[in-house]
Amino acid sequence: MKKVLIVDDAAFVRFAMKKMLEKNGYEVVGEAPDGSTAILQYKELRPDFVTMDITMPGMNGIETLKEIKKFDPNAVIIMVSAMGHENFVKEAVLSGAVYFLVKPIKEENLIEVLSKIIES
Amino acid sequence: MDSMLEMFIFETNQNLEQLEQITIQSEKNGAFSGEEINDIFRIMHTIKGSSAMMEALEVTALAHAIEDIFFYVREKKPEKLDCSTLTDLVLNAADFIKTEIDKMEAGEKADAIAADLIELTRSFLLQLKQTNGEPPEKTTLPVKQETIQESPKTVSSYIDLDEPVNVFQARVTYKDHCEMENIRAYTLINNLKGLVGELHYLPDNILEDDESANIIRKNGFNICFTTSKEYDEINVLLNRTIFLKELELDQLTDVAECSYWPKKEVLLKKVPPEKSIVKVEEREVSHPSMISVNVTKLDILMDLVGELVISEAMVTENPDLQGLDLDNFYKAARQLKKISNELQDGVMSIRMVPLSGTFQKMNRIVRDMSKKLNKQAELVLIGEETEVDKNVIEHISDPLMHLIRNSLDHGIELPEEREKAGKNPVGKITLEANNAGNEVIINIVDDGQGLNKERILKKAKENQLLYKNESDFTDKEIYSFIFSPGLSTNEKVTEFSGRGVGMDVVMKNINAVGGNIIVNSEPGKGSMITLKIPLTLAIITGMTIKVGQSRYTIPIMSIRESFKPSLDNILVDPNGNEMIMVRGKCYSIVRLHRIYHIAGAVTNFDEGIMIMVETEKTIIGLFADQLIGQQQIVVKPIPAYIKNISKTQGVTGCTLLGDGSISLILDVVGIVNRF
Repeated sequence: MKKVLIVDDAAFVRFAMKKMLEKNGYEVVGEAPDGSTAILQYKELRPDFVTMDITMPGMNGIETLKEIKKFDPNAVIIMVSAMGHENFVKEAVLSGAVYFLVKPIKEENLIEVLSKIIES
Repeated sequence: MDSMLEMFIFETNQNLEQLEQITIQSEKNGAFSGEEINDIFRIMHTIKGSSAMMEALEVTALAHAIEDIFFYVREKKPEKLDCSTLTDLVLNAADFIKTEIDKMEAGEKADAIAADLIELTRSFLLQLKQTNGEPPEKTTLPVKQETIQESPKTVSSYIDLDEPVNVFQARVTYKDHCEMENIRAYTLINNLKGLVGELHYLPDNILEDDESANIIRKNGFNICFTTSKEYDEINVLLNRTIFLKELELDQLTDVAECSYWPKKEVLLKKVPPEKSIVKVEEREVSHPSMISVNVTKLDILMDLVGELVISEAMVTENPDLQGLDLDNFYKAARQLKKISNELQDGVMSIRMVPLSGTFQKMNRIVRDMSKKLNKQAELVLIGEETEVDKNVIEHISDPLMHLIRNSLDHGIELPEEREKAGKNPVGKITLEANNAGNEVIINIVDDGQGLNKERILKKAKENQLLYKNESDFTDKEIYSFIFSPGLSTNEKVTEFSGRGVGMDVVMKNINAVGGNIIVNSEPGKGSMITLKIPLTLAIITGMTIKVGQSRYTIPIMSIRESFKPSLDNILVDPNGNEMIMVRGKCYSIVRLHRIYHIAGAVTNFDEGIMIMVETEKTIIGLFADQLIGQQQIVVKPIPAYIKNISKTQGVTGCTLLGDGSISLILDVVGIVNRF
């Protein structure tokens, strides 16, 4: 089973994504409400995927992405951003993010990204 | 309720509460600090995201509009910012969202239209931009553009290490609603890095202009490139594109066949991958790891602990053990008792919640009301960190709100009147909480005009509430009339209070949790209302007494003293009412055996015991056979089948005693009112 770490400051979003993932046979090994927790959890849990909210208090998703990539350049991180925040996504993509999802997250979209990543 | 909805409601309500606090605080300070702006932005952002998932689209749109303002404020730091209007705007939005959430909680559809509010919000932002000398245009984040500028404006290309031989042209269309197609297109060409020779694409301004997303949505994203790879390989690669709806891939014989291939070939440098050296601030983030637990689970746990405490007593005090020499048994039993006590304390502490949330809500009430009533008032909160049981908090939130409203409406005078009376024009309301043994004391103090004794008495007379001579009433007794139904001395009914409904409800609510209200007032100086609330509803300290063969438990909070009465102090009036003199004062006596019709109980006063109990109204003596002892008891509701048969009077619940027998818990307030 593929392991996923969910990073989002909103507990509701974490909860909803966890449900979607578990329904589709992914194992959610960790949930982090902020960037620094995410980095610690990544190092400890070594998930196959990370979903990363961009707008978070303290260390934002982009900074967290960079930190995780420093530790593990092969980390697969899916950035999650809200509609209308193109600029954040651009910044993330320019910082090395490859995958991203736009909120509100739909189950089919989330699963498509993950299965496409697994395929390649 | 669906667990997803439950979570959404819980988190959104928490966010709204925080939002309200931040906003009111910043209005008080007259400015939004950087941190506050960030927090509000983030809260709106979260609400926007979550509500969109729950398909509450009006909430999403409104949260988005507010988020836009704070985004602008955060990025541009405008000099002129109308804090008061912005606060109103944010609070109105919070109210709207709250109403919608409540609807969802009640199982209704969140279908109110927020168009007016959104319009207001947008025009505020527009005005804000104009007054700060900005042409009304789309705000953009400064994106690091170095990588783009290194390549020619219209085309990008990469150089493959192998000799490129094949030319491919592709058109990619993305699935509907995947959003940000332009950035997806950018990641697509980024993925081709290292595999292709020269690459050109249309539309060519994908990163610079977000409008290009619309063009891609309509016409697809066109790319043409040279590569050493074969068709199949490229086909597989491009088919891996996420959210791909359609791929048209053609092999061309020459780049000239491509309409957007530049005439003059430009050779380009390979785009150097951006080195990311970002210093991450080392900060101490201490997040106590928290989990949220459903309250019903805690209730069950509490119940079980209660059962455990009882069964432990049933074992250690078992009549079968009498007369036996059981040293080791008692040693082990003591250990068990110690652990079960610790367990009980532990479970209780889980249920304890600080009053700060409830207290903070009062800020909003004081703010809104003083604005509407043209009064000036400041709310001082003391002892917010005091903790009480979750169930208790739910019961005291409304009464507190009502008492604060009353203080502001009836107590605090208009600024002119205050100045005339030589007071600070800004009134002061203090909300103070502290722990006292097994109780929490909450004081609501205002420096307003105080209660008008004469008017209360007059009203009470009109309502036929006087139960003795007008001149015999003490101040305390007169003030306690304000909690009687239908008694409002305010001639003018205002939006907030004055209808006379409410204060009696306040009393009912506080009594329901076993609490007490005491009123003190000084004309012209102000009033103080004191609430005495038990720390928890589930386990209380009680005094168990015996009447005939029956046992009763009286909450220790209500007991003032108990003693063996001497017959000299007993008085009987001509109507046969019995009274007792205690230190020169006379109190009514209620014989418990009489009101519960118990045969075989002690009837002579000098053979039984008198227990003086106190309520906010008065003090009476309860006459019983004997005291059994003080102990922690677990309060259980009276089973429904008993409640339904007869209206149980003067009893709030029941409890199991150590020997397995049942004891009824006396409702002291009920007894005082009835007998």
